[in-house]
Amino acid sequence: MTANDLKTWDIFCRVIDNYGDIGVCWRLARQLAHEYPTQVRLWVDELDALIKIWPSAISADQQLLEKVEVCVWHENFDAAVEPADVVVEAFACNLPDSYLTAMKRRAIAPNWFNLEYLSAEDWVEGCHGLLSMHPQLGLKKMFFFPGITTKTGGLIKEARLLEERDQFLANPANRAEFLEYLEIKPAENQLIVSLFGYENTAIASLLDTWIQSPTPVLCLVPASKVLPSINNHLGKALNQGDEHKQGSLRLKVIPFLTQTNYDRLLWACDINFIRGEDSFVRAQWAAKPFIWHIYPQDEGIHMIKLDAFLQDYLKGLSPALQRSITALWHEWNQGVDCSNSWNACLADRQNWQQHGHKWCKSLSSLGDLVSNIVRSCD
Amino acid sequence: MKTGQELRAGHVISIDGQPWLIQKAEISRSGRNTAVVKTKLKNLLNGYLTETPYKADDKFEDIVLDRKEVTYSYYADPRYVFVDSDYEQYELDKDELGDMAPYIEDGMDDVCEAVFFEGKVISITPPNSVTREVVYTEPSVRGDTSGKVMKPARLTNGTEIQVSAFVEIGDKIIIDTRTHEYKSRAKD
Repeated sequence: MTANDLKTWDIFCRVIDNYGDIGVCWRLARQLAHEYPTQVRLWVDELDALIKIWPSAISADQQLLEKVEVCVWHENFDAAVEPADVVVEAFACNLPDSYLTAMKRRAIAPNWFNLEYLSAEDWVEGCHGLLSMHPQLGLKKMFFFPGITTKTGGLIKEARLLEERDQFLANPANRAEFLEYLEIKPAENQLIVSLFGYENTAIASLLDTWIQSPTPVLCLVPASKVLPSINNHLGKALNQGDEHKQGSLRLKVIPFLTQTNYDRLLWACDINFIRGEDSFVRAQWAAKPFIWHIYPQDEGIHMIKLDAFLQDYLKGLSPALQRSITALWHEWNQGVDCSNSWNACLADRQNWQQHGHKWCKSLSSLGDLVSNIVRSCD
Repeated sequence: MKTGQELRAGHVISIDGQPWLIQKAEISRSGRNTAVVKTKLKNLLNGYLTETPYKADDKFEDIVLDRKEVTYSYYADPRYVFVDSDYEQYELDKDELGDMAPYIEDGMDDVCEAVFFEGKVISITPPNSVTREVVYTEPSVRGDTSGKVMKPARLTNGTEIQVSAFVEIGDKIIIDTRTHEYKSRAKD
């Protein structure tokens, strides 16, 4: 099967929590539908998560959205559903039994992918692209790993993403217009930071640092899990649309943005705090300095994954900046005081910024996840 | 049933109705507290080797294989006939002999292990070491008794093996069948 004769795709997504699962699957579905000759069906068990990141979605069992047929994945899955030519099981969610049986019945078995989580750990290269035979049905499934090396599946990147980013940044009026849409008018020489994260006690040290900062800081907080931590430290009850000014800090709670507008937010800001997987990838394409709040896992496994990424990401930076970024990311993820490391990173922001461009360029040369997965079809 | 995360080297599982021996199983933690198990598998029916990943919660039927002690009896072209203590006979093609093939010779009395799947013998395993006679090798190298210098030797059944330089024609040698390596000269 080649990119020219692909027909139907089914993408299955279970929302575990937050918006990362649906965020990745929705991007995958949209890019396939827009850039390849495909009919894409997205099965999602919690439609509300999609509505949150794509508000034009409605509460309906079935709808056509951005050329994608979006269907609610009910526990009692309709046994009459005919499997697609290509099936993507996102993040090891288990497919419905009736659907598996129908896959087995097809004259030509579907191309079946298990789209795994993004990780920079070494073992990923050894598993990416391997076929797994279903123990009972004998159907073959490819384990497909997103990644940041040539031996992995790459990252989701729409064909025109970088071009759109560059067009946005080429004209300062675009940034001003976007911020105005968020009801923000930044002051001159203000450092603009976006802050998207999980609950985090490290926020206290960061807010105090910004309040006392010699440079004015405008912090834009999409309404998310980090907001209670902010409110707790400031002794406030800030909600969407609220603003807090204290010392050099101006903090504004902005709405939870659509995927398209979240990209613009990342482009518009000087430094981005991001979390999980989807916003982590978008921050890399934004080519700005970023701090990753990784999804916490049992036994501190997430710190191994964090360090595996840092090992690649930091290459080419001065040892001092490497140390500062490592310290800031570690402290942010461990929920401890990160004021010193923040100040150290900020002092070398120009190099960090330049590094963001180099990193983005190097990732871009790997090819994008969707074209890689299309190429992996028979 | 076993789950993917319970798989260990030495287990035999059913995949698509066929018995597969797990030679290696490595668990790596993926996202959201899930895991990927990378396995090295050997198909016990045809010897096919593969590397394949599984999810930690994939479910497998595990197989307990029957095993019996057997000895080689005779060759009935094209089948090799083994016999157990009850004089029950089991016939295998050369392809099915697997690790046993290099050591088959008339008159051998090694006690081997036959492995059965659904009543059919699928492999014969030799004992960990066997004693065989060298029928040809180049003359010994004088003075070298270290055993570190090796040379090729041919056994009665035509099998070639590397032996110590001091081994001579007519010597009986002990071979490790797991590695197909010469261990020592056998004492008379």
